[in-house]
Amino acid sequence: MRRVMLGAVALAAGIWGCGGKSSGSDAGNTGGSTGAVPQSGGGGAGGPTGNATVSGVIHFTGTAPTNPKIDMSQESACAGKYTSPPTDPQYVVKDGKLGNVFVYVDSGVPNGAKYSAAAADTIDQNGCLYHPRIFGAVVGEDIVIKNSDNVLHNIKAVPKVNRGFNISQPSAGMTSKRTFASPEVMVPLECNVHGWMHAYVGVLPHPFFATSGEDGSFSIKNLPAGTYTIKAWHEKLGTQQTTVTVGAGETKTADFTFSGPKA
Amino acid sequence: MAAALLSFATTGKLSAQDGKTIYNKWCSGCHGETGAGDGVGAKTMLPHPRDFTKAVYKIRTTASGEIPTDDDLRRIVEVGMPGTAMPEWKSRLSAAEIGAVVQYLKTFSPNSFKGAAAKAIAIGKAPGGDGVADGKAVFQKLECYKCHGLAGRADGKSAPTLKDDYGNPIRPADLTENWKFRGGNSVSDIYTRLRTGLDGTPMPSFQDAVENKLITDEQLWRVAQYVHSLSPEKTPESREVVRAALAQKLPATPDDAAWATVERFWIPVVGQIIAKPRWFAPAVDGLWVQALHDGRSLALRVSWDDPSKSPDPIWDEWLGRMSKTLTDVDGPLATQQGPDRLVVQWAQNPSDESKRPYFLGGDTKSPVYAWRWSSEPKVEEGSEAGLGHFTALPNGSVTQSARYADGQWQVVFTRPLASSDTTKVPRFGEGRAIPIAFYAADGSSGEDEVRGAVSTWYAVYLDVPTPTRVFVAPIAMIALSAGLGMLLVTRAQKNGRANGATDSSPMEER
Amino acid sequence: MTRLRLFLRHPFWQAVLLLVVSYLAFTVGVRYVPPLFRVASAPVPGSVVLQYMFIAIVGILIFVSSDELRWRTFKQPLHATLVDQDKRWLRGGLLVAVPVLLGFATYQQARPKVEAPIQLRSIHPAPPGQITFRGKAMQLSGLENPLRKSGSMADHLREGKRVYYQNCIACHGDRLDGAGHYAHGFSPAPANFSDNGTIAQLTESYVFWRVAKGGPGLPREGTPWNSAMPVWENYLTEDEIWSVVMFLYDQAGWQPRRWEASPEERKNPTGAKQPAAPNAPKAGGAK
Repeated sequence: MRRVMLGAVALAAGIWGCGGKSSGSDAGNTGGSTGAVPQSGGGGAGGPTGNATVSGVIHFTGTAPTNPKIDMSQESACAGKYTSPPTDPQYVVKDGKLGNVFVYVDSGVPNGAKYSAAAADTIDQNGCLYHPRIFGAVVGEDIVIKNSDNVLHNIKAVPKVNRGFNISQPSAGMTSKRTFASPEVMVPLECNVHGWMHAYVGVLPHPFFATSGEDGSFSIKNLPAGTYTIKAWHEKLGTQQTTVTVGAGETKTADFTFSGPKA
Repeated sequence: MAAALLSFATTGKLSAQDGKTIYNKWCSGCHGETGAGDGVGAKTMLPHPRDFTKAVYKIRTTASGEIPTDDDLRRIVEVGMPGTAMPEWKSRLSAAEIGAVVQYLKTFSPNSFKGAAAKAIAIGKAPGGDGVADGKAVFQKLECYKCHGLAGRADGKSAPTLKDDYGNPIRPADLTENWKFRGGNSVSDIYTRLRTGLDGTPMPSFQDAVENKLITDEQLWRVAQYVHSLSPEKTPESREVVRAALAQKLPATPDDAAWATVERFWIPVVGQIIAKPRWFAPAVDGLWVQALHDGRSLALRVSWDDPSKSPDPIWDEWLGRMSKTLTDVDGPLATQQGPDRLVVQWAQNPSDESKRPYFLGGDTKSPVYAWRWSSEPKVEEGSEAGLGHFTALPNGSVTQSARYADGQWQVVFTRPLASSDTTKVPRFGEGRAIPIAFYAADGSSGEDEVRGAVSTWYAVYLDVPTPTRVFVAPIAMIALSAGLGMLLVTRAQKNGRANGATDSSPMEER
Repeated sequence: MTRLRLFLRHPFWQAVLLLVVSYLAFTVGVRYVPPLFRVASAPVPGSVVLQYMFIAIVGILIFVSSDELRWRTFKQPLHATLVDQDKRWLRGGLLVAVPVLLGFATYQQARPKVEAPIQLRSIHPAPPGQITFRGKAMQLSGLENPLRKSGSMADHLREGKRVYYQNCIACHGDRLDGAGHYAHGFSPAPANFSDNGTIAQLTESYVFWRVAKGGPGLPREGTPWNSAMPVWENYLTEDEIWSVVMFLYDQAGWQPRRWEASPEERKNPTGAKQPAAPNAPKAGGAK
């Protein structure tokens, strides 16, 4: 389980540096995704890359259900990090745009192309919520699990294809690393001490994925020219797909529209 | 099978094919022929039988998320999983047969077992010295109580939210009943579970906490020692008769310190699977019963572990999950939480000692005399003609005093020995054993007046002051036998002298 | 060494040795030796040990007194204890110890004991000749399992297995040995079908009766008020009960006891009442 993948760490460092994982300090953040700068996979040494981009916006129609309130009264260490009562950010909707949608290339990347893992991605437990809530990882990539709360968390992966894990992180500052060996979209992560805590990681054999930001935008970069099936997954609203063909250096748009659940 | 045995006789080894034959005969009823844990008997069992196709196992010596070793699998088949429907098999299957079954189990998840065999983590030795106090401190620091409760009775704040990988409700271990620990109850077993976690359940591995130096390995051992100390040193065995000793004064409340010195008796209770609707997942598994009397009244204290003080809204989610998982056997589960219940049944007519009412709350022909307690709390005195068919008696004289703390109910019942109603109420006479039986239910788990846990008939014996003959008889016996002995010696010596002491030892003759 | 040989030749010490060996055989031997050969065993009750020891003592006395010389030799150490000057300490000791031991035994007898009410129970009470199953009269004597003459045996056994696992295992257990996970909660203990004293001795119609009518259907000598066996006719159909009965015999590896063949069948031994094909041996074949 602890295969440490030494990939193109240096190469990828720059890309990772551009945000997406720094939301820990702001516990009031609605989710893990990060505004206009979407998270994207690391640069892949090994597999073919290019300079094409697929980007777009996730639209939302209808009425977004109210996110459930979380009763954190038993955990003052977490409750104290919020000024207003915390909610579970299942729906990140703003001005008709939907955040926290995991967008990824489902097919079109050459079969058998091997992309090494990039630098470690971090999931932080802060304010008794996961940051980010929705994210992606390349097969074999180290996922760093961090506890910023001074309470006991356990983080349990409940995959269907991969082997799961369940580790305890009894206090702040603790970090652990885990990897997934097979592609699987999505692997649920949960904390059993705090039954409301959920996160989802999309494990892919390549780095061509992104999570929509609060403004609903996403961008999948460094694609080689080709025709791709792009899928967009939302934890409550399911999966949609579209097909996009991009030439070298081109940027194509692939928008999706999710509608709220029927009341 | 005959062929399998023949091949065993000739080679001493059994193949995975033989394992399949054995599996299909003995294991498939619960685990299913495809190994998916969906055998015909699976649905009433909680926890459900293991699904071998996922290769996720609770009891391992390998790190969290790893497959188990062959020895791990073999051990579980050999000794079973206490507290579940999984029995031990070593009394039925030979070592070779169990080995063949283990090989066959792995074929249900070929991908998981195709790589290198899993490696057991190294388990050292428990540090010496008394580590219980240290262990308690670490237990608090690690916040084990979040699920297991401050006193270890599985009543932590997170307990009602827990579910396994399949979304089925799962209870944290009751640390005060270590005979039900799935992977064994030695300090080293407990330590191993802390290191590896119980995969598929909410119980995490503390391996990373040690690696991160949040706690030391020794501290983890101390936790294991502390957890071990929470249960009685010896697994309690039920005894048929509960003794009610004579006391000057009866303690009126459950937390009276006087109870600490009163002998306690373990009464196991099991699912009510006799009358409709049956119940296969009882929340209560045993009662500690203590009794005292002062010649005028009887006081009975019953204590049992129940993680919820029902009804309690934080357990609504749990009840929902229970009714979804245990989709009915004999009808749907209650949608609302009822109170917790305890019924103490007495045989109405103990004078005919060869005959009793039906242990399951009596029947219409022969009802039981019952104290029906519920967690409002209140107690009613009456007669019961079958579970739930209760008729209160006027002028009941039994009183109750109840206390709920740290996942445990303690209820004291007090009643005068004498009763004006001699037809429906047994006489609580001294020097005799009065048949008693129990029924317990946890409202938060959907239990009610029929779905719950039952005991068979036991008895309460009211001590009598020791009669004087008890002391006179032995003294008389000593005097008599000493006198006879002296007589024997004197006579023998007289005869010896008369014979002129001519006997010589045959030993010396040879 | 010679001293030891002298001891072993002496009838008194032979008698003492025989007594000790018999006592150990009755208590430790019976309990722990058969399990070494995978045969179940249980402790011998105290009263039975007492009986056996009495018989052993009588036997030993007959042996030592059968020969005049041996008898005299046997008595010699006893006599010596009573009279010899050099044994006066032993004599004194015995004169104190024996009365004290007897006094203690008397106290044990006389002190008030916490005793359960007496329950006498007949394990296999006589079945009625006829029962009413869900309103239908059924003649039990001579009744065979009708499923053995119709349909596919494999189907019946699969159905019987389903019925068993959904209803019976909590008490009677996966191994059919009466050690299910609820067995500890009930008294009397659930029947052990793997023991040769239960279904192996019974006809299928008897087992059908016990299943259909359960504990409450027992006659009084079977203590119906204690038995946790449900009245299965409230849950199961006639065919379900016959199929689970068939499963019990198949899984435990026994043949049901047959009714005496009628005169016609004796003339025609290939008739329908012949025993079914022998069951496969148990998987736990090592027994």
